[in-house]
Amino acid sequence: MSIEKYTRSFLKEVEERVEEGHWVKMCMQCGVCAGSCPLGAHWEHTPQKIFMMIRAGKREEVLSSDSMWMCTSCYQCIVRCPRKLPITHIMHGLAYLAKREGLVPKNQPTAQFGQLFWDNLVKTGRVNELKLSLGMYFKDGFSQGIKNAMAMQSVGLGMMKAKRLNPMEIMGGHGIKDKSGFHAMLKKARELEDSRRKLA
Amino acid sequence: MADMKVAAYICQGCGLGERLDTADLAKVAQKEGKAAIVKEHPFLCNAEGVAMIRSDIDNEAVTHVMVAACSRRAKTEAFGFTDVALSRANLREGVIWVRPDDEESRETTQEMAADYVRMGCAEVKKMKLPAGNPETATNRRVLVVGGGVSGMTAAIEASKAGYQVVLVEKGAALGGWAAKLYKRSPSRSPYADPQDTGVDEMIAAINADSNITVYTNSITSKTEGAPGRFKIDVSQESGATVTEEVGSIIQATGFTLYDANNLPELGYGKSPNVMDQAGLEALAKAANGGPIKRPSDGGEVKSVVFVQCAGQRDETGKHLPYCSGSCCLTSVKQAMYFKDNNPDIDTVVVYTDLRMPGNGEDFYRSGQTKGVTFTKGKVSTVEATGNTCKVNFQDLILNEQTAIENADIVVLATGQVANSGVDVDAKLKADIAAAAGDETLLNAWNAAQAEGAVKPISVLNLTYRQGPDVPQLKYGFTDSHFICFPYETRRTGIYSAGPVRRPMDIVQATEDATGAAMKAIQAVENAAVGRAAHPRSGDLSYPIVRIEGCTQCKRCTVECPFGAIDEDEKRYPLFNESRCRRCGTCMGACPVRVISFENYSVDTVGSQIKAVDVPDEFSEKPRILILACENDAYPALDMAAMNKQVYSAWVRVIPVRCLGSVNTIWITDALNSGYDGVMMMGCKHGDDYQCHFVKGSELASYRMSKVGDTLQGMGLEPERVQTFEAAITDIERLPKLINEYADAISALPPSPFKGF
Amino acid sequence: MTEVVATNQTILVVGGGISGMTAALEAAECGKEVVLIEKNPVLGGRVSQLYRYFPKLCHPTCGLEINQRRVKQNKRIRILTMAEVTGITGSPGDYTASVKIAPRYVNENCTACGDCGDAAETMIDDAFNYNLGKVKAAFLPSRMSYPQRYVVDPSVIGTPEADKIKAACKYDAVDLSMQEETVQVKAGAVVWATGWKPYDANKIQPYGYDRFDNVITSVEFERLSDPHGPTGGKILRPSDGKEAKNVAFIQCAGSRDENHLRHCSRICCMASLKQTNYMREAFGDEGKSTIYYIDIRAIDRFEDFYQKVQADPNVKFVKSKVARILEDKDGNPVLHGVDTEGYHRYATPHDLVVLAVGMEPSVSAANIPAEIVSDSSGFIEQDQANGAIFGAGCAANPLDVNRSVQSATASALRAIQVINRVARAEG
Repeated sequence: MSIEKYTRSFLKEVEERVEEGHWVKMCMQCGVCAGSCPLGAHWEHTPQKIFMMIRAGKREEVLSSDSMWMCTSCYQCIVRCPRKLPITHIMHGLAYLAKREGLVPKNQPTAQFGQLFWDNLVKTGRVNELKLSLGMYFKDGFSQGIKNAMAMQSVGLGMMKAKRLNPMEIMGGHGIKDKSGFHAMLKKARELEDSRRKLA
Repeated sequence: MADMKVAAYICQGCGLGERLDTADLAKVAQKEGKAAIVKEHPFLCNAEGVAMIRSDIDNEAVTHVMVAACSRRAKTEAFGFTDVALSRANLREGVIWVRPDDEESRETTQEMAADYVRMGCAEVKKMKLPAGNPETATNRRVLVVGGGVSGMTAAIEASKAGYQVVLVEKGAALGGWAAKLYKRSPSRSPYADPQDTGVDEMIAAINADSNITVYTNSITSKTEGAPGRFKIDVSQESGATVTEEVGSIIQATGFTLYDANNLPELGYGKSPNVMDQAGLEALAKAANGGPIKRPSDGGEVKSVVFVQCAGQRDETGKHLPYCSGSCCLTSVKQAMYFKDNNPDIDTVVVYTDLRMPGNGEDFYRSGQTKGVTFTKGKVSTVEATGNTCKVNFQDLILNEQTAIENADIVVLATGQVANSGVDVDAKLKADIAAAAGDETLLNAWNAAQAEGAVKPISVLNLTYRQGPDVPQLKYGFTDSHFICFPYETRRTGIYSAGPVRRPMDIVQATEDATGAAMKAIQAVENAAVGRAAHPRSGDLSYPIVRIEGCTQCKRCTVECPFGAIDEDEKRYPLFNESRCRRCGTCMGACPVRVISFENYSVDTVGSQIKAVDVPDEFSEKPRILILACENDAYPALDMAAMNKQVYSAWVRVIPVRCLGSVNTIWITDALNSGYDGVMMMGCKHGDDYQCHFVKGSELASYRMSKVGDTLQGMGLEPERVQTFEAAITDIERLPKLINEYADAISALPPSPFKGF
Repeated sequence: MTEVVATNQTILVVGGGISGMTAALEAAECGKEVVLIEKNPVLGGRVSQLYRYFPKLCHPTCGLEINQRRVKQNKRIRILTMAEVTGITGSPGDYTASVKIAPRYVNENCTACGDCGDAAETMIDDAFNYNLGKVKAAFLPSRMSYPQRYVVDPSVIGTPEADKIKAACKYDAVDLSMQEETVQVKAGAVVWATGWKPYDANKIQPYGYDRFDNVITSVEFERLSDPHGPTGGKILRPSDGKEAKNVAFIQCAGSRDENHLRHCSRICCMASLKQTNYMREAFGDEGKSTIYYIDIRAIDRFEDFYQKVQADPNVKFVKSKVARILEDKDGNPVLHGVDTEGYHRYATPHDLVVLAVGMEPSVSAANIPAEIVSDSSGFIEQDQANGAIFGAGCAANPLDVNRSVQSATASALRAIQVINRVARAEG
């Protein structure tokens, strides 16, 4: 999609397709969000800059940005924003749009984790912590996986002791009763969201 | 007037009785001061002390009172006798609080006090209780020049207070700039939407108001007189001239938009799609809520760009250096014209600083809510080709050179230029700049004087000796230079209102015009009783001229900071008392000393100077005269005294109305009487002057620069007379300055004039 | 003092700062009777606590002197200090205000000789200096005090010290039996000019005003810069008294923020620009200032002032709303945020941080003891429904001094319009 600069076409898309996207126009470029974010140093583009890029029509750059994947939902930005923009929500909304548009940067770890989590969850209706962590450790290959697992050993053992992690889950683990009903629910929810956000 | 009877009262309170020999002071008042009644009192400002003075005035026919107690700035309620001439000898702040309380200092402290008693008696004898100018003028009508929102507001508000108004408008109809607007920025909560201008209602109110006489298609072709008795020729387009008499004037002549033809780089003149804010208002007015069409072809508008600070905040010297303070609001409002009609139209405001103070923030938010896009950026060029424009700019947030490609309309926010008439100080400013080495202004002025050159058109056509219009402050605006006193123009009874004073929006103009109406009403009330206007408000004294002594040197007419003095047909100065602000600059200027005030004159000060007992050259007690501005330096000395800061006992301080009122005769008198030095303390002058009478301290420093010749003629060292700038906050500095000066004077040989 | 003779042709002016003084003077100099109510012991208000004004860098006390002289010589103005309006009843042309007057414990016999101050021992917070210093419990509130009369602080009343203070006065001016009293003042119109207060900086948590000594407000910085302030004009930081040669100015501290004040306070940009001049005045080229801002709002010819400051190599501008302040081990406040022009993250230590705190109405319209229409920030609006109660100066809008005086002058006329109507009706 080619967008003319500083027209509303991308802003309009964001307003329609991104959760809380209609707030983007209210930003006054003070930058307090950028400074308040605990992960700020890792951002490629700060939130306020992303909002300016949206207004400037930089669709590709925004949606392929690494930035919104850095959000850990600490809500510091929302608390501080003098215009009360729900920045956290907008960031997640933008990430979702990027994902749906296939513009997520390759090997973006948050995106990868999200996908793993989702796949893991959808399978049985329950999260299998063991498989999820192993999936995460081994996503970059076997030897890296071993290294990761060793590094996280003490955390894993601790969780086991506290009965937060069951080693037997490797066998397949627990799930919900009505899996097909659950999948039907997810399908319906996705349909609703797609039509609401024009994502189909 | 009854015979003069002087009474002197010497207070013993606040330590005066312990530190001074008041009996001796009483003797001084009696013998040397020739006071008919002399009384000491342990606590003069209390009810009993005041009653004692009151009783002497009522029962003993006392006409002149000398109170030797605290500063003239203290206990003003107690000693506020309005029916006698009154002088105050400052023994507390002027003597005991600035002298050490020790045996060694006792003699010199007592001498200081005795001198102030002598001075107080000498002064009061030369004073008269001001009776008020007998030639009061009582026309209470107000002239308003300019029929825009500011002028109409001033007229309506003055009328509401019960005053008659004459309203003169150059154009065919009232309404001015606001009448050209489709809507105005909001003036009320929730500050969300453009609102009706209200111009029609104002015009209707004026037409229905029997207090207001309106002249349209008319100008003020001649303005003569003074507050309370102005005579105005109102010339109509038809050729008829009507003479109106009014008491005061409000100039509300508004502004003209900066000429966008000066901005070809921003595409103006290249395409009808590039316009100034007035151009867009015209389109919006024509569309009247319907879609605004693209001027070049009547096509649909999909994209509009607003370029802020077009030809403003300019650092190149080519355009306006200032900010017009209202264009951001206007652009947001104009973007709403499009958004309110069709939210899908792209409207981008390119700004460097969005300046919408106060509740403007709400309007900014409302613009954003409506989808107006704001971009912090600097527009370099606008390329206007065919039906679209390309706006090239630096996006300051994204830090890149970029462009908006297909704008249908580009609006340039060009700012306000004051319609203020002739710059009456132009020649003076040019001369000063030329003297400092910069001849650009002078060349421009000479060019403007050349045959055939277009000369600025006067608005008021004042017949004043000092020029036909109100002096301008900066960039053509007629604003006051005083932060605390925004209505202080340099022409008494003539007030500026609205954007002719400084660039402003309608909300501010309305407030300003209401304030100006207040001042105009006050001016006629003052004129009716011969009372001075600010800063000597309430002063009933006025300049009295002994015309038979006048040599027609014109210095008073030229130097009066308020243009109060004209020349009559025989070229004698013609004082217009109700224009006068009582600063005494004319008195200071007059080489033959024929100008005086009843309570302030060459004599009231001169007699104080001469009353001081100057010890002989063997005494090693130099005497230094300090002439201190009563508005700043004198209060600073008072406050230094409250801090108990010690300064030299050699000085004798006389407060003056303004350093501009200092006549050089006082200096020569002092030196001839054997004083060893003279210090003058006045307010800062120059660009950020602080003189309450505008030019007083500047004129004084100019005059004193010439005193060197006199000193040389007398065979005296030039450092014996010095002028210092003093601010009211120089509480620590002034005593230090005095002591340093006293040391320097002590190091010189005694004045050779002692004992003559 | 208690018999305040007033009629329905009297104008009641509430607030004795520059707006209230102006409204009172302009009306009185037009021949009207005025009663002027001031909450503090002296007139002058907030401007008397400023060191200099922008853009002339002149001193507020200079104008105050003129206004005081106007007040002194005008017998039409009656002044009630330490007084507050607690209720207004009636209608335009016929109001009655209840005015509560706190005891000053010093009567009009006072000559301001200072003997009571010498006798007092207890030191109390110096309100004039925003509590940055101390004064004696018998004190003259400021050097420019008008009325020029001492005040005895209520904290010493009933103690032997109070008796000592009383005994020190030779003029029977100390009256320890004074009681709070309430008087009724009739008025045809009311000008409400109660001014503004600095926004409570404690509420801006990330800036740590409550935690860090070296984070102060712009009004406090005025006192620090004033040669007659608590430090004698030396810009010393509170934590260790070290000269603060590297100062950060944070704009919009409270203003333009829906979590705090919704409006722009108008004056703060110019105030900070002005305060960079204090730095230059104090330290010459060694004084460094950094202004952190969103938009610099230097309108009309104030732009000249902005450009002059911009040209000063010792002043830096960073377009950024500072996110938070932390403190390093040396007690230096470290500012964290992002410069939004481009994208530059900073963590910059300064010696001292000055918060350009916003303007709040001193008395929010909701707390005026009458029905008043106001905007969302509590500033009085011009509305028919307000009858003959007119907002003036910063009670009506966040304004600079010049515009406050214009507003006050306008409100004086609005009041006169009512009074003249009453006068015409009464013949």
